Amino acid sequence: MSTVSDMADQQVKPDVYKSSLKPVWCPGCGDYGVLNALCQAFARLKLKVEDTMIVSGIGCSSRLPGYLHSYGFNAVHGRALPIAIGAKLANHKLNVIAAGGDGDGFSIGIGHFPHACRRNVDITYIVMDNQVYGLTKGQLSPTSPDQAITSTSKYGSIETPIDPIRLALGCEAPFIARGFAGDIKHLVEVLVRAIKHRGFSFVQILSPCVTYVGKQQFIEIKQRLHYLDQDPEHDCRDIASAVKVINEQDVISVGIIRCHERPHYQKKLAKLNKAASRKKAKLEDLLDTFRP
Amino acid sequence: MQKRVLITGNEACGAGAIAAGCDCYFGYPITPQNELTAYMSRHMPEQGRVFVQAESEVSAINMVYGASAAGRRVMTSSSSPGISLKQEGISYLAGSELPAVIINVQRGGPGLGNIEPSQADYFQAVKGGGHGDYRMIVLAPSSVQEMYDFTRRAFYLADRYRMPVMVLSDGRLGQMMEPLRPGKGSKSSAAKLPPKDWALTGASGGRPKRVVKSFFPADGTLERHNLELEKKYNLIRRTQSRAGEYFCEDAEVVLAAYGTAARLCREAVRRARAKGLPLGLLRPVTLWPFPAARVKKLAARARAFLVVEMSSGQMVEDVRLAVEGRVPVAFYGRSGGGVPEIGEIYRRAHRLLREKAQGGSQDRGTVS
Repeated sequence: MSTVSDMADQQVKPDVYKSSLKPVWCPGCGDYGVLNALCQAFARLKLKVEDTMIVSGIGCSSRLPGYLHSYGFNAVHGRALPIAIGAKLANHKLNVIAAGGDGDGFSIGIGHFPHACRRNVDITYIVMDNQVYGLTKGQLSPTSPDQAITSTSKYGSIETPIDPIRLALGCEAPFIARGFAGDIKHLVEVLVRAIKHRGFSFVQILSPCVTYVGKQQFIEIKQRLHYLDQDPEHDCRDIASAVKVINEQDVISVGIIRCHERPHYQKKLAKLNKAASRKKAKLEDLLDTFRP
Repeated sequence: MQKRVLITGNEACGAGAIAAGCDCYFGYPITPQNELTAYMSRHMPEQGRVFVQAESEVSAINMVYGASAAGRRVMTSSSSPGISLKQEGISYLAGSELPAVIINVQRGGPGLGNIEPSQADYFQAVKGGGHGDYRMIVLAPSSVQEMYDFTRRAFYLADRYRMPVMVLSDGRLGQMMEPLRPGKGSKSSAAKLPPKDWALTGASGGRPKRVVKSFFPADGTLERHNLELEKKYNLIRRTQSRAGEYFCEDAEVVLAAYGTAARLCREAVRRARAKGLPLGLLRPVTLWPFPAARVKKLAARARAFLVVEMSSGQMVEDVRLAVEGRVPVAFYGRSGGGVPEIGEIYRRAHRLLREKAQGGSQDRGTVS
């Protein structure tokens, strides 16, 4: 993680990270909360804007890079993860954050998710989950609940929704967390921990869509919130605690669900390269392999 | 006579597909074709047919691949970036000789581009798009009525020739509303078509098994397969090219345009004719096979062509190939969501009419 070291004792203002672009999200969109929380988390970590890169896919939430004063990459639908991994591997010093929505990440882009988890490159992936396609005006999303009526499920959805936390746990993501766009203070804590984590960190952010789902979504989430940091029984290092979260029915747990340190990809790559370099051939000798 | 309905082009496409007996539709959200997916979501279940919002365009085209192999009439739709994702599947459909209908409601590119209307996928549609030696019939509607009619016809052509057929529309045609007179079941009826004796329908009862494949690894088998495809494509080239003509009989300058651009050109021709200027319009209806013979015939009589596109110049290459250098071929295009202006088409055509009187040189044209 690259930080503003010469400002070690000074406070960094979150506004430093905001671009001059005014978001075009609908009034009341959860993504405003995510943007604010992200800026506060960056300020807390004193990230250098010039060393930070936000990669997104396509969707309402994927507009995020435009509103941040860091390197931004509004990329290909569903491909934020491979692009983020490419950037991080090309420049280890970058703080790389991939961002997108539930459609981007768990519909078209889901194929990349298990591989990001197992490859364990040191990036953070935040998914703003509103359970609907907003940018294309209200279609069914892979996280839309059973029976959801949308513009492409006129008679109610007959497909079982994906639970991103369950998915991440199944894919052995080393860091799994959930936040709520309506509780910025808590979300900042979650994001700080996620960015600090060395390895692949995944944060599902419940970010309600007032336009295509309705205000009720926000109210219902708020009523059901359960804060894991206040739960003495929860231990994010213990997989049994995470299993408990994915099986919960009435409450929605937010906080660090799973945190399991294991050597990240760049660390292993450095080791591999070191071992390989001991057998290093001279450039001019490379072609000799092919001489008879 | 059936009643007319006011409907968007996207919805007309869906209505045409349902009228053609489309059994399965697989889509994925993308602007500016969402009305089509929403229409199918509402009306396919009413007909007891299959609607699925796939998890991606790649998934949708492969669901098409499977449904087609099972012998069903099947369609998918998308817009430019999504159509790019479908190219692998289209190549496999062509290689496996399976019928399918693909609707492209084009938007601006390259990359994510924008959601404005465009005609910049011409090359992708008619020159391949996917890998390998294959062709795809490409129909170019220029009204809401044609969105309906051509979608219906696409099903017929796909079944007749066992190949993917694309309806190449654009965001303007997809989103605008016009009166539509739904046709009666006739031309596109399956009755006249050969039986689908290749479809994977279950081999119980001892009939020989059927294999759908595009893989020919044994020495020489792929070349033989490709020669068979080429034979089919040549038959289509000879028999299926279509174009509309508007005041071409005595035209000295011929506009060539398809889809939305052709609508604008038609108005430019109308204005010119009102002033007694000999302007005409050739409107390719099939972009593949390209109506090259018609262009060639007109080139023998006209003094110049002006190709108008919502691209930086794609169909113009096929017009130039067909004209074979006989007369100058000028180009006027708007790219990235821009739409050609009727006044500008008129001015440029007028300039060519003046130039031809002085024996002007070949104008390569510019994008503006």
